[in-house]
Amino acid sequence: MRITRANNRAAAFLIGPALTAMFVVHLIPILFGIVTAFLGIDVSNLSRFPRVPFVGLDNFANLFTDGTGVGPRFMSSIWNVLVYGLVTIPAGYVIALAVALLLNRRFPGRNIVRGLILLPYITPDAVMYNVWRFIFQSRIGVVNQLLSALGLIREPLIWLVGDNALFAVIVASVWKGWPFTSLMLLAALQTIPAELYEAAHLDGASWWQRLRWVTLPMIWPVSRTLLMLSVIWNFHAFNQFYVMLGADTTSKAAVPSVVILREAFGALHFGSGSAMAVLMLVIILALTAVAVYSRRERSAE
Amino acid sequence: MKRRTHRAPGDLSPAGKILFALAVCLVVATVLFPYLWMVSGSFKRTIEIQSADYTKEGMEPTLIPRQPTLENYAKINKTVPMLDYLKNSLIISGGTMVFAILISLFAAYALSRLDFRGRKLYELTVYSTQMFPGIAFLIPYFVLFNLVTRITGIPMRDTYWGMIITYTSFALPFCILMMKGYLDTIPKSLDEQALVDGCGRAGIVFRIILPVVKPGAISVGIFAFIMAWNEMLFASVLTGGDTKTVSLGLMEYITTNQARWGGMMAACIVVSIPVLVLFTTLQKHIIEGLTKGAVKE
Repeated sequence: MRITRANNRAAAFLIGPALTAMFVVHLIPILFGIVTAFLGIDVSNLSRFPRVPFVGLDNFANLFTDGTGVGPRFMSSIWNVLVYGLVTIPAGYVIALAVALLLNRRFPGRNIVRGLILLPYITPDAVMYNVWRFIFQSRIGVVNQLLSALGLIREPLIWLVGDNALFAVIVASVWKGWPFTSLMLLAALQTIPAELYEAAHLDGASWWQRLRWVTLPMIWPVSRTLLMLSVIWNFHAFNQFYVMLGADTTSKAAVPSVVILREAFGALHFGSGSAMAVLMLVIILALTAVAVYSRRERSAE
Repeated sequence: MKRRTHRAPGDLSPAGKILFALAVCLVVATVLFPYLWMVSGSFKRTIEIQSADYTKEGMEPTLIPRQPTLENYAKINKTVPMLDYLKNSLIISGGTMVFAILISLFAAYALSRLDFRGRKLYELTVYSTQMFPGIAFLIPYFVLFNLVTRITGIPMRDTYWGMIITYTSFALPFCILMMKGYLDTIPKSLDEQALVDGCGRAGIVFRIILPVVKPGAISVGIFAFIMAWNEMLFASVLTGGDTKTVSLGLMEYITTNQARWGGMMAACIVVSIPVLVLFTTLQKHIIEGLTKGAVKE
């Protein structure tokens, strides 16, 4: 089809609603948010906006000099979310792949199992993270009970406060996240023609060789999309931390979303909250640029 | 090695079969484990949960409640007005679902079928909005909400439609992506014929496309519904007494003074029901719709 005036008009009509929603909710606020980071805006002058003082880079500078320690907490929260992603994404992918390979075989009851593994994906976040918060409780929770029954711990561990908090959230997130990946990988596995495996088998390829040279290359396009999305979405992580650990920004497992939320809507410093949000955007854009660039390099070879 | 050649590539030895069965059981057990404790907790009295202590003989938390009770369900709307939150969530998520399906269907149709100026740019923008974490625009969004209300007098915060607009546009990028993947699998001849027959674009979308993309539309709808049901970051700032959703409501069971785990577990089950019912009745369509868009590229 060619670009015609009629097409342009039809397209404008068709994408109009989506375009408007995107402008109103995403693009304008993001651009405006960058402006906010340079304004001295807090609860006292919110109602007078846009008559608020322009403060230049003060919001950024204040993060590290105002004595409340919010800047360093923000920096460590970025570190936390990176560690969280570095563990959660590979762990989730490997489990998802293993289960997808398992369920790719025919066995009685396969459809039931396939339906069951979808449960974590479809159960609401708030529900499952609250349940995990319940079973991670120190004395009344069942995780410690299990570990002690297995002889792995002597004293009850405190999971949700202090050093173990990040680990507890990671366990819950991997549990909640792998079924979706697994479903996608399973669908991809089922598109691989059986002849490829038969040929590999005739050539005497071992199980590992078939996995390495047939299965993985065939599901690589889907895997790549899923992994890229996970890396990007990793910075969106909020629910699991907010539900399991609360809005405590001094927690060793605080993430940027929680720290910024508290700074803006707890301490009511909208300006410095925006400054942190802008810093976070810069980091995400830099990571994305690196990812896109390295992909170009590789495909150019 | 010799015996192996008798088997087709997919066949397992007896030992392999046992290992395979064990692995499947392990997967099922891991998935079900938290659900068992959720159900069990919902039938326990608060005192039984609170006094449990696995280090003390006879006090360990047990899967079967020692004194089963239905009081957590009977009091579902008492301590925390959970049914009111449920109503709020149903309205907000349902509205989001309807708008997301319609808007993404239009946009995906344009992307899949029409060549228009700015098409590439538009597609790129749609996908790149996915990158921005909510927290990056929550603050300005909140300030703009306040500004709009002050200038026009229209309330924005703590209204159903304010939340529906917000969530619809959160869901849109992924919905458009999924819907376009689905539309691309439908032969163009179908709607070109209708165009020749003098059917308008809107008529094509509603009368020709909508019936055939039903599985895609259903999975897009469910995605939008679940997204709105789950969202907590914007809800924690933009909802209030009139629109608080179940996800935030669940947090009210645990206060600094009291931990009502039993009540919370019962509420967890109740607020999962709409999503689970929706999903299981439409499961076939969803899996087809979800995977068709993603796998095909």
